[in-house]
Amino acid sequence: MSLLTTSVGSFPKPPYLAKARTQHSKGEIPDEALHALEERATTEWIRFQEDLGIDILVDGEQYRGDMATYFAENLGGCEVSGLVRSYGNRYYKKPLVVGELERPGPITVAWWTWAQGITERPLKGMLTGPYTMMDWSFNEHYPSREDLTLAFANVLHQEARDLERAGARVIQIDEPALSARTDELELVTKALGVVTRGLTAKTITHTCYGNYDAVYPFFNKLPVDQLDLEMSNSGLDLLERFRREPLKKEIAFGVIDVHSHVVESEDVVRDRIERALEIFSPEKLFIDPDCGLKTRTVQEAEAKLRVMVAATRAVKEERGLR
Amino acid sequence: MVLTTVVGNYPRIGDAFEEQRLRRAIAKFEEEKVTETELREVERSVVREVVADQISAGIALPTDGEVTWYDSQSHFARHLDGVEVNGLVRYFDTNTYYRQPVVKGSIAWRGPALVDEWRFASSVAPASLKAVVTGPYTLASLSKADGRPRREVVREFASAVAQEVRALREAGADHIQVDEPAITRAQKDVGLLREGLETVAAEKGSAWLCVFTFFGDVAGILGDLAALPIDNLGLDLVQGDRTWKALKEDGSDIPLTLGLVDARNTRRDDPRALAKAALALKGNVPLEESYVSPSNGLEFLPRAKAREKLGLVAETAKLLEAGL
Repeated sequence: MSLLTTSVGSFPKPPYLAKARTQHSKGEIPDEALHALEERATTEWIRFQEDLGIDILVDGEQYRGDMATYFAENLGGCEVSGLVRSYGNRYYKKPLVVGELERPGPITVAWWTWAQGITERPLKGMLTGPYTMMDWSFNEHYPSREDLTLAFANVLHQEARDLERAGARVIQIDEPALSARTDELELVTKALGVVTRGLTAKTITHTCYGNYDAVYPFFNKLPVDQLDLEMSNSGLDLLERFRREPLKKEIAFGVIDVHSHVVESEDVVRDRIERALEIFSPEKLFIDPDCGLKTRTVQEAEAKLRVMVAATRAVKEERGLR
Repeated sequence: MVLTTVVGNYPRIGDAFEEQRLRRAIAKFEEEKVTETELREVERSVVREVVADQISAGIALPTDGEVTWYDSQSHFARHLDGVEVNGLVRYFDTNTYYRQPVVKGSIAWRGPALVDEWRFASSVAPASLKAVVTGPYTLASLSKADGRPRREVVREFASAVAQEVRALREAGADHIQVDEPAITRAQKDVGLLREGLETVAAEKGSAWLCVFTFFGDVAGILGDLAALPIDNLGLDLVQGDRTWKALKEDGSDIPLTLGLVDARNTRRDDPRALAKAALALKGNVPLEESYVSPSNGLEFLPRAKAREKLGLVAETAKLLEAGL
């Protein structure tokens, strides 16, 4: 198997679900009604990925708001803050740690089990990593950043074990904050190691929009099987570094810019894949977008994924890859 | 007298429906449902609100909250010739992003980028309102300039920032701040920073000029920074808490803006403890002419918390003043 296609995690919520979430937040519709629409949207995204022929699926996170806040909402010791800006006109709510972290029960397992139950293709289990959870939280309880990171790592390890017990064969632990403070990369590595300790599932870490130059020496040290990287937004800048200092893991290579409304042409995406193939073997190279597609419209996200799959197929055909 | 100020940005929206009108207006503008004039009117109403928040909390030297800025780098850089604005890059460790400036040719100042915004905000403030400009070293550090010598890029950005400072001063700005957070991550570059800031300071005229460093410490280069031809040096004393020791040992001849109140965390600071810590600098630092401020811009907090932090800045300054 080569050049397997996948996605990073989130997909946009269709307008009917976005509207229902607003209504639900105002108490205008009950939990059950929202849940039914989340299931409908998840089903639609899974069917879309299957029809397109994507190899490793995601559930699209239709039931999650922000990737960090979703976990905060389901952990003891955590609250949710008011709105803060992410960039441009985008805002989100941050976790607010006010006490000892504890996991009252599995957080993502019920959704993963349900979504995997409606497809034959493998579906990733999706977690937000401990360092990112710490870095994106307001901390009113723990004495240090390390203490809070390791507290998150412990509860996320419990979650990863439960996902694995439920049958997940691929678990992705997102660490977009990985390069936030380069003097804390040892802490990132240590905390990821706590999460992945003893797992037999394939483990992946996704990161994006960071200072890769500084982080590069740590890529091979991260205790996961695959790195999932945003590459297109940064103009494939890292390729030369990969040429000089080979990656010893699998790589999921972002070939779609998720922050642009413009849908790339097939030629552009083919070129990105071809350039990746100059460095990586097709068996270790996975093709996906730069990041989650939730900031795009449904139409844009679908169009971008169609181009990604078409370009991958074209490259495979031309090279006679299976 | 110990005064109070802020570092620059402030939350553009809050959690109340009315406090989110700028967010809605921008979304409608992008959908071409409101005109640019209508959007500017909403922006200005938010600037009024942000200035009023600061004044009512007791901030002596407010800013416009950078309400109109897309981000800290591209807002200025997009007005320059020779620079294009590209993809999103994470802004230090803030979990916010900026559009990265890409240097494509010789950098040249086209005309004032910040003057109109300053002029309006100043018109709704009861006294001086501080203009804030991104510094040349930080612009060069966070831009992409493949193949161009670093020093040349800093020089060209410095020339552009200097012309902006002159334009602000000519428009009447008597308090101007230049932000240089990037130096906290590369103190070895202090020579480059100094070169750029000397060019900028040459255009300050009689205006009060502050250079603010944040998101880290400047312990190793405090003496170099205090020797810059500026009127005030702004220091992040929370994330840059290592600077405390250098301040106690080396002191500073120029007045400081003491970034005492934690602008990155919601935890409530203790003004008594902060004032006590600052008082320990008495004799080493001209505290009577210094300012108290948050450790960096307040935009990284929810607006209700940012408002609370403004109050804590004012309370800390009062306690410090009383201690003197």
